[in-house]
Amino acid sequence: MSIFKRIFNIGKAETNAALNKLEDPIKMTEQGIRDLKKDLDTALQSLAEIKALAIRARNDHNTYSSKAKDYEKKAILLLQRAEKGELDTAEADRLAQEALTKKKDNEGMATQAATDKEKFDGNIASMESKIKRLRQSISQYENELKTLKARVKVSTATKNINKQMAQIDSSSTVSLLERMKDKVAEEEALAESYGEIANESRSLDEEIDRALEDESPASDDLAALKAKLNQNKS
Amino acid sequence: MSFFKNLFGKKDDEPKPFSRTALDIDLGFIFEYDLRSWEVQAVYEYDWGDEDFSKEFKVYDGTETYYLAVEEDDEVEMVWSQKIPLAKIEGDIAEEIVTKERPPKTIVYDSTTYYLDEECPGYFHEKGEPDDQWQEFIAWEYYDETEHFNLSIEQWGERSFEASLGRVLAKHEISDILPRKL
Repeated sequence: MSIFKRIFNIGKAETNAALNKLEDPIKMTEQGIRDLKKDLDTALQSLAEIKALAIRARNDHNTYSSKAKDYEKKAILLLQRAEKGELDTAEADRLAQEALTKKKDNEGMATQAATDKEKFDGNIASMESKIKRLRQSISQYENELKTLKARVKVSTATKNINKQMAQIDSSSTVSLLERMKDKVAEEEALAESYGEIANESRSLDEEIDRALEDESPASDDLAALKAKLNQNKS
Repeated sequence: MSFFKNLFGKKDDEPKPFSRTALDIDLGFIFEYDLRSWEVQAVYEYDWGDEDFSKEFKVYDGTETYYLAVEEDDEVEMVWSQKIPLAKIEGDIAEEIVTKERPPKTIVYDSTTYYLDEECPGYFHEKGEPDDQWQEFIAWEYYDETEHFNLSIEQWGERSFEASLGRVLAKHEISDILPRKL
Protein backbone atom coordinates (compact mmCIF):
# COMPACT_ATOMS: atom_id res chain seq x y z
CA MET A 1 0.00 0.00 0.00
CA SER A 2 1.40 3.35 -0.98
CA ILE A 3 2.17 5.89 1.71
CA PHE A 4 -0.42 8.34 0.32
CA LYS A 5 -3.20 5.74 0.40
CA ARG A 6 -2.29 4.91 3.99
CA ILE A 7 -2.39 8.57 4.96
CA PHE A 8 -5.76 8.93 3.19
CA ASN A 9 -7.17 5.91 5.08
CA ILE A 10 -5.96 7.28 8.40
CA GLY A 11 -7.65 10.60 7.58
CA LYS A 12 -10.88 8.80 6.66
CA ALA A 13 -10.88 6.80 9.88
CA GLU A 14 -10.26 9.93 11.93
CA THR A 15 -13.12 11.78 10.17
CA ASN A 16 -15.52 8.91 10.85
CA ALA A 17 -14.47 8.82 14.47
CA ALA A 18 -15.04 12.58 14.75
CA LEU A 19 -18.52 12.29 13.18
CA ASN A 20 -19.39 9.42 15.52
CA LYS A 21 -18.40 11.62 18.43
CA LEU A 22 -20.65 14.42 17.14
CA GLU A 23 -23.63 12.06 17.17
CA ASP A 24 -24.23 12.03 20.91
CA PRO A 25 -25.91 8.67 21.69
CA ILE A 26 -27.99 10.20 24.52
CA LYS A 27 -29.37 12.91 22.25
CA MET A 28 -30.01 10.31 19.56
CA THR A 29 -31.96 8.15 22.05
CA GLU A 30 -33.93 11.19 23.25
CA GLN A 31 -34.82 11.96 19.64
CA GLY A 32 -35.80 8.31 19.16
CA ILE A 33 -38.13 8.50 22.17
CA ARG A 34 -39.62 11.77 20.88
CA ASP A 35 -40.29 10.06 17.54
CA LEU A 36 -41.94 7.15 19.34
CA LYS A 37 -44.10 9.57 21.30
CA LYS A 38 -45.18 11.15 18.02
CA ASP A 39 -46.08 7.70 16.71
CA LEU A 40 -48.02 7.06 19.91
CA ASP A 41 -49.88 10.35 19.53
CA THR A 42 -50.79 9.46 15.95
CA ALA A 43 -52.03 6.08 17.16
CA LEU A 44 -54.07 7.81 19.89
CA GLN A 45 -55.66 10.06 17.27
CA SER A 46 -56.57 7.02 15.18
CA LEU A 47 -58.04 5.38 18.28
CA ALA A 48 -60.05 8.55 18.92
CA GLU A 49 -61.40 8.36 15.35
CA ILE A 50 -62.52 4.74 15.81
CA LYS A 51 -64.08 5.54 19.20
CA ALA A 52 -65.95 8.45 17.58
CA LEU A 53 -67.20 6.04 14.89
CA ALA A 54 -68.33 3.62 17.61
CA ILE A 55 -70.20 6.45 19.39
CA ARG A 56 -71.83 7.40 16.07
CA ALA A 57 -72.77 3.77 15.41
CA ARG A 58 -74.37 3.53 18.86
CA ASN A 59 -76.22 6.78 18.21
CA ASP A 60 -77.38 5.43 14.80
CA HIS A 61 -78.50 2.18 16.39
CA ASN A 62 -80.52 4.09 19.03
CA THR A 63 -81.99 6.48 16.44
CA TYR A 64 -83.00 3.74 13.94
CA SER A 65 -84.40 1.53 16.71
CA SER A 66 -86.51 4.45 18.01
CA LYS A 67 -87.70 5.23 14.49
CA ALA A 68 -88.60 1.57 13.89
CA LYS A 69 -90.63 1.54 17.12
CA ASP A 70 -92.23 4.82 16.14
CA TYR A 71 -93.31 3.46 12.71
CA GLU A 72 -94.71 0.37 14.37
CA LYS A 73 -96.74 2.55 16.75
CA LYS A 74 -97.99 4.60 13.81
CA ALA A 75 -99.01 1.46 11.91
CA ILE A 76 -100.95 0.27 14.99
CA LEU A 77 -102.61 3.69 15.38
CA LEU A 78 -103.64 3.68 11.70
CA LEU A 79 -105.22 0.24 12.02
CA GLN A 80 -106.95 1.25 15.28
CA ARG A 81 -108.42 4.37 13.59
CA ALA A 82 -109.65 2.26 10.69
CA GLU A 83 -111.24 -0.13 13.20
CA LYS A 84 -112.98 2.79 14.89
CA GLY A 85 -114.15 4.00 11.48
CA GLU A 86 -112.13 7.20 11.72
CA LEU A 87 -110.14 6.28 8.60
CA ASP A 88 -110.85 4.46 5.37
CA THR A 89 -109.69 0.85 5.80
CA ALA A 90 -107.93 0.61 2.44
CA GLU A 91 -106.15 3.90 3.03
CA ALA A 92 -105.26 2.86 6.58
CA ASP A 93 -103.89 -0.48 5.29
CA ARG A 94 -101.83 1.28 2.62
CA LEU A 95 -100.38 3.75 5.12
CA ALA A 96 -99.83 1.06 7.74
CA GLN A 97 -98.04 -1.03 5.10
CA GLU A 98 -95.82 1.96 4.26
CA ALA A 99 -95.13 2.50 7.95
CA LEU A 100 -94.21 -1.17 8.40
CA THR A 101 -91.87 -0.98 5.41
CA LYS A 102 -90.21 2.06 6.96
CA LYS A 103 -90.07 0.18 10.26
CA LYS A 104 -88.30 -2.70 8.53
CA ASP A 105 -85.87 -0.33 6.79
CA ASN A 106 -85.02 1.28 10.11
CA GLU A 107 -84.66 -2.07 11.82
CA GLY A 108 -82.25 -3.09 9.06
CA MET A 109 -80.22 0.08 9.54
CA ALA A 110 -80.29 -0.37 13.33
CA THR A 111 -78.93 -3.91 12.87
CA GLN A 112 -76.26 -2.63 10.50
CA ALA A 113 -75.32 0.07 13.03
CA ALA A 114 -75.12 -2.56 15.79
CA THR A 115 -72.86 -4.71 13.58
CA ASP A 116 -70.68 -1.69 12.84
CA LYS A 117 -70.53 -0.89 16.54
CA GLU A 118 -69.36 -4.42 17.31
CA LYS A 119 -66.74 -4.23 14.57
CA PHE A 120 -65.49 -0.87 15.89
CA ASP A 121 -65.40 -2.24 19.44
CA GLY A 122 -63.21 -5.07 18.18
CA ASN A 123 -60.90 -2.59 16.44
CA ILE A 124 -60.77 -0.48 19.60
CA ALA A 125 -59.78 -3.46 21.76
CA SER A 126 -57.05 -4.45 19.31
CA MET A 127 -55.70 -0.89 19.01
CA GLU A 128 -55.81 -0.34 22.76
CA SER A 129 -53.67 -3.42 23.36
CA LYS A 130 -51.10 -2.22 20.78
CA ILE A 131 -51.12 1.29 22.25
CA LYS A 132 -50.63 -0.17 25.71
CA ARG A 133 -47.54 -2.05 24.47
CA LEU A 134 -46.18 1.10 22.82
CA ARG A 135 -46.77 3.11 26.02
CA GLN A 136 -44.97 0.45 28.06
CA SER A 137 -42.04 0.41 25.62
CA ILE A 138 -41.71 4.21 25.73
CA SER A 139 -41.85 4.22 29.54
CA GLN A 140 -39.24 1.46 29.65
CA TYR A 141 -36.94 3.34 27.21
CA GLU A 142 -37.38 6.56 29.19
CA ASN A 143 -36.45 4.81 32.43
CA GLU A 144 -33.45 3.11 30.81
CA LEU A 145 -32.31 6.44 29.35
CA LYS A 146 -32.65 8.07 32.78
CA THR A 147 -30.47 5.33 34.30
CA LEU A 148 -27.96 5.56 31.46
CA LYS A 149 -27.76 9.34 31.81
CA ALA A 150 -27.01 8.95 35.51
CA ARG A 151 -24.39 6.29 34.73
CA VAL A 152 -22.79 8.54 32.10
CA LYS A 153 -22.62 11.40 34.63
CA VAL A 154 -21.01 9.16 37.23
CA SER A 155 -18.53 7.65 34.77
CA THR A 156 -17.62 11.09 33.36
CA ALA A 157 -17.00 12.42 36.85
CA THR A 158 -14.98 9.32 37.77
CA LYS A 159 -13.04 9.55 34.52
CA ASN A 160 -12.19 13.20 35.20
CA ILE A 161 -11.05 12.46 38.73
CA ASN A 162 -8.96 9.48 37.60
CA LYS A 163 -7.48 11.51 34.77
CA GLN A 164 -6.49 14.23 37.22
CA MET A 165 -5.01 11.68 39.56
CA ALA A 166 -3.10 10.05 36.71
CA GLN A 167 -1.86 13.41 35.49
CA ILE A 168 -0.61 14.31 38.98
CA ASP A 169 1.53 11.10 39.12
CA SER A 170 3.09 11.33 35.72
CA SER A 171 3.05 15.03 35.10
CA SER A 172 5.51 17.68 36.04
CA THR A 173 3.95 18.34 39.45
CA VAL A 174 5.77 15.44 41.09
CA SER A 175 8.97 16.00 39.17
CA LEU A 176 8.74 19.70 40.01
CA LEU A 177 8.52 18.77 43.66
CA GLU A 178 11.50 16.44 43.23
CA ARG A 179 13.42 19.16 41.47
CA MET A 180 12.49 21.56 44.22
CA LYS A 181 13.66 19.07 46.82
CA ASP A 182 16.98 18.69 44.98
CA LYS A 183 17.31 22.40 44.69
CA VAL A 184 16.60 22.93 48.38
CA ALA A 185 19.11 20.20 49.21
CA GLU A 186 21.65 21.89 46.95
CA GLU A 187 20.94 25.24 48.54
CA GLU A 188 21.29 23.70 51.99
CA ALA A 189 24.58 22.01 51.03
CA LEU A 190 25.81 25.26 49.57
CA ALA A 191 24.76 27.14 52.71
CA GLU A 192 26.61 24.59 54.82
CA SER A 193 29.73 24.91 52.72
CA TYR A 194 29.58 28.69 52.96
CA GLY A 195 29.16 28.26 56.71
CA GLU A 196 32.25 26.05 56.97
CA ILE A 197 34.25 28.46 54.87
CA ALA A 198 33.00 31.28 57.06
CA ASN A 199 34.02 29.33 60.19
CA GLU A 200 37.43 28.71 58.82
CA SER A 201 37.92 32.42 58.07
CA ARG A 202 36.63 33.29 61.53
CA SER A 203 39.31 31.06 63.19
CA LEU A 204 42.15 33.03 61.62
CA ASP A 205 40.59 36.27 62.65
CA GLU A 206 40.02 34.94 66.11
CA GLU A 207 43.68 34.00 66.48
CA ILE A 208 44.68 37.46 65.40
CA ASP A 209 42.12 38.99 67.74
CA ARG A 210 43.18 36.74 70.56
CA ALA A 211 46.80 37.81 70.10
CA LEU A 212 45.79 41.41 70.12
CA GLU A 213 43.45 40.98 73.10
CA ASP A 214 46.46 40.23 75.34
CA GLU A 215 46.99 43.93 75.44
CA SER A 216 43.47 44.52 76.60
CA PRO A 217 42.65 46.67 79.69
CA ALA A 218 41.25 43.55 81.43
CA SER A 219 44.76 41.99 81.49
CA ASP A 220 46.14 45.20 82.95
CA ASP A 221 43.59 45.06 85.74
CA LEU A 222 44.51 41.45 86.48
CA ALA A 223 48.21 42.32 86.70
CA ALA A 224 47.46 45.26 88.96
CA LEU A 225 45.37 43.03 91.23
CA LYS A 226 48.13 40.41 91.36
CA ALA A 227 50.69 43.10 92.23
CA LYS A 228 48.45 44.38 94.98
CA LEU A 229 48.07 40.90 96.48
CA ASN A 230 51.90 40.43 96.43
CA GLN A 231 52.40 43.79 98.25
CA ASN A 232 50.01 42.76 101.03
CA LYS A 233 51.84 39.46 101.50
CA SER A 234 55.16 41.21 101.91
CA MET B 1 -30.36 9.28 11.07
CA SER B 2 -28.05 11.18 8.77
CA PHE B 3 -25.55 13.66 10.14
CA PHE B 4 -27.14 16.60 8.30
CA LYS B 5 -30.67 15.66 9.38
CA ASN B 6 -29.34 15.55 12.90
CA LEU B 7 -27.83 19.00 12.55
CA PHE B 8 -30.55 20.81 10.66
CA GLY B 9 -33.66 18.72 11.32
CA LYS B 10 -36.67 20.76 12.49
CA LYS B 11 -37.47 20.33 16.17
CA ASP B 12 -41.23 19.80 16.52
CA ASP B 13 -43.29 20.47 19.64
CA GLU B 14 -43.00 17.45 21.87
CA PRO B 15 -46.25 15.47 21.94
CA LYS B 16 -47.56 14.72 25.41
CA PRO B 17 -49.42 11.42 25.20
CA PHE B 18 -48.57 10.66 28.84
CA SER B 19 -49.53 13.96 30.43
CA ARG B 20 -52.89 15.04 29.04
CA THR B 21 -55.31 16.35 31.64
CA ALA B 22 -58.90 17.58 31.51
CA LEU B 23 -57.45 21.05 30.89
CA ASP B 24 -56.17 19.86 27.49
CA ILE B 25 -59.56 18.60 26.31
CA ASP B 26 -60.85 20.26 23.15
CA LEU B 27 -63.51 19.92 20.48
CA GLY B 28 -63.67 16.39 19.05
CA PHE B 29 -61.56 14.83 21.79
CA ILE B 30 -62.65 11.49 23.25
CA PHE B 31 -62.22 10.48 26.88
CA GLU B 32 -63.36 7.78 29.27
CA TYR B 33 -65.64 8.31 32.22
CA ASP B 34 -67.70 5.73 34.08
CA LEU B 35 -66.53 2.97 31.67
CA ARG B 36 -67.97 4.82 28.69
CA SER B 37 -66.37 6.77 25.84
CA TRP B 38 -67.47 10.40 25.53
CA GLU B 39 -67.02 12.65 22.52
CA VAL B 40 -66.66 16.40 23.00
CA GLN B 41 -69.30 18.01 20.81
CA ALA B 42 -69.02 21.62 21.97
CA VAL B 43 -66.67 23.74 24.04
CA TYR B 44 -68.05 26.58 26.16
CA GLU B 45 -65.85 29.28 27.63
CA TYR B 46 -66.77 31.26 30.73
CA ASP B 47 -65.32 34.60 31.83
CA TRP B 48 -66.00 35.24 35.52
CA GLY B 49 -64.02 38.50 35.64
CA ASP B 50 -60.67 39.25 37.32
CA GLU B 51 -58.87 36.96 34.85
CA ASP B 52 -60.91 34.02 36.12
CA PHE B 53 -61.88 31.68 33.27
CA SER B 54 -63.31 28.20 33.07
CA LYS B 55 -64.39 25.73 30.40
CA GLU B 56 -67.28 23.40 29.93
CA PHE B 57 -67.55 20.55 27.43
CA LYS B 58 -70.78 19.20 26.02
CA VAL B 59 -70.19 15.48 25.70
CA TYR B 60 -72.10 12.61 24.11
CA ASP B 61 -71.70 8.83 24.24
CA GLY B 62 -74.21 7.91 21.55
CA THR B 63 -77.05 7.72 24.07
CA GLU B 64 -76.80 10.53 26.62
CA THR B 65 -75.54 14.10 26.74
CA TYR B 66 -73.69 15.46 29.75
CA TYR B 67 -71.55 18.49 30.57
CA LEU B 68 -68.06 18.46 32.02
CA ALA B 69 -67.05 21.73 33.70
CA VAL B 70 -63.31 22.21 34.24
CA GLU B 71 -61.69 24.97 36.23
CA GLU B 72 -58.10 25.41 37.39
CA ASP B 73 -57.99 26.92 40.85
CA ASP B 74 -54.68 25.78 42.43
CA GLU B 75 -55.77 22.35 41.26
CA VAL B 76 -58.14 21.10 38.59
CA GLU B 77 -61.79 21.09 39.69
CA MET B 78 -64.34 19.17 37.65
CA VAL B 79 -68.10 18.81 37.75
CA TRP B 80 -70.05 16.27 35.71
CA SER B 81 -73.59 17.51 35.17
CA GLN B 82 -76.81 17.03 33.30
CA LYS B 83 -79.60 19.50 32.68
CA ILE B 84 -82.72 19.00 34.81
CA PRO B 85 -86.17 20.54 34.44
CA LEU B 86 -86.47 23.65 36.62
CA ALA B 87 -90.03 22.59 37.46
CA LYS B 88 -88.70 19.54 39.31
CA ILE B 89 -87.07 21.75 41.92
CA GLU B 90 -89.40 22.41 44.84
CA GLY B 91 -90.89 25.92 44.87
CA ASP B 92 -91.01 28.45 42.08
CA ILE B 93 -87.34 29.37 41.90
CA ALA B 94 -87.64 31.53 38.79
CA GLU B 95 -90.50 33.58 40.26
CA GLU B 96 -88.66 34.03 43.55
CA ILE B 97 -85.53 35.28 41.77
CA VAL B 98 -87.54 37.66 39.58
CA THR B 99 -89.72 39.09 42.36
CA LYS B 100 -87.27 39.15 45.24
CA GLU B 101 -84.26 39.80 43.01
CA ARG B 102 -82.29 37.21 44.93
CA PRO B 103 -82.26 33.42 44.99
CA PRO B 104 -83.43 31.27 47.91
CA LYS B 105 -80.70 30.22 50.37
CA THR B 106 -81.70 26.57 50.11
CA ILE B 107 -83.46 24.54 47.46
CA VAL B 108 -84.81 21.00 47.47
CA TYR B 109 -84.47 18.64 44.54
CA ASP B 110 -85.31 14.95 44.61
CA SER B 111 -85.62 15.05 48.44
CA THR B 112 -82.11 16.49 48.85
CA THR B 113 -81.49 19.97 50.23
CA TYR B 114 -78.91 22.10 48.47
CA TYR B 115 -77.36 25.18 50.10
CA LEU B 116 -76.42 28.36 48.25
CA ASP B 117 -72.63 28.55 47.95
CA GLU B 118 -71.98 31.47 45.62
CA GLU B 119 -73.43 33.86 43.08
CA CYS B 120 -71.37 34.00 39.88
CA PRO B 121 -72.11 36.65 37.27
CA GLY B 122 -70.18 36.02 34.09
CA TYR B 123 -69.98 35.87 30.33
CA PHE B 124 -70.46 32.84 28.11
CA HIS B 125 -68.97 32.08 24.70
CA GLU B 126 -69.17 28.98 22.54
CA LYS B 127 -65.89 28.05 20.85
CA GLY B 128 -66.17 28.49 17.11
CA GLU B 129 -68.56 31.44 17.38
CA PRO B 130 -67.27 34.96 16.58
CA ASP B 131 -65.03 36.29 19.36
CA ASP B 132 -67.29 39.26 20.10
CA GLN B 133 -70.30 37.05 20.82
CA TRP B 134 -70.18 36.77 24.59
CA GLN B 135 -73.46 36.40 26.39
CA GLU B 136 -74.03 37.78 29.89
CA PHE B 137 -75.62 35.55 32.49
CA ILE B 138 -75.67 34.84 36.20
CA ALA B 139 -75.29 31.50 37.95
CA TRP B 140 -76.08 30.46 41.54
CA GLU B 141 -74.19 27.45 42.77
CA TYR B 142 -75.74 25.20 45.42
CA TYR B 143 -74.12 22.20 47.12
CA ASP B 144 -75.56 19.40 49.22
CA GLU B 145 -74.28 18.68 52.74
CA THR B 146 -71.55 16.36 51.48
CA GLU B 147 -70.40 18.98 48.95
CA HIS B 148 -70.09 16.17 46.42
CA PHE B 149 -73.22 17.12 44.54
CA ASN B 150 -73.98 20.47 43.04
CA LEU B 151 -77.08 22.11 41.67
CA SER B 152 -76.68 25.12 39.44
CA ILE B 153 -79.36 27.65 38.55
CA GLU B 154 -78.59 29.98 35.65
CA GLN B 155 -80.43 33.08 34.53
CA TRP B 156 -80.12 34.08 30.87
CA GLY B 157 -81.91 37.32 30.15
CA GLU B 158 -84.83 38.47 32.25
CA ARG B 159 -86.99 35.39 32.47
CA SER B 160 -84.99 32.53 31.02
CA PHE B 161 -83.71 30.01 33.57
CA GLU B 162 -81.86 26.72 33.38
CA ALA B 163 -80.94 24.17 36.02
CA SER B 164 -78.40 21.38 36.11
CA LEU B 165 -77.45 18.72 38.60
CA GLY B 166 -73.81 17.77 38.91
CA ARG B 167 -71.34 15.60 40.72
CA VAL B 168 -67.89 16.80 41.76
CA LEU B 169 -65.31 14.55 40.13
CA ALA B 170 -61.94 13.37 41.35
CA LYS B 171 -59.04 14.01 38.97
CA HIS B 172 -58.58 10.33 38.05
CA GLU B 173 -62.20 9.83 37.01
CA ILE B 174 -61.59 11.38 33.60
CA SER B 175 -59.09 9.15 31.82
CA ASP B 176 -57.72 8.07 28.43
CA ILE B 177 -57.99 11.52 26.91
CA LEU B 178 -57.53 11.07 23.17
CA PRO B 179 -56.76 14.01 20.89
CA ARG B 180 -58.64 14.38 17.65
CA LYS B 181 -58.32 16.88 14.84
CA LEU B 182 -61.65 17.84 13.32
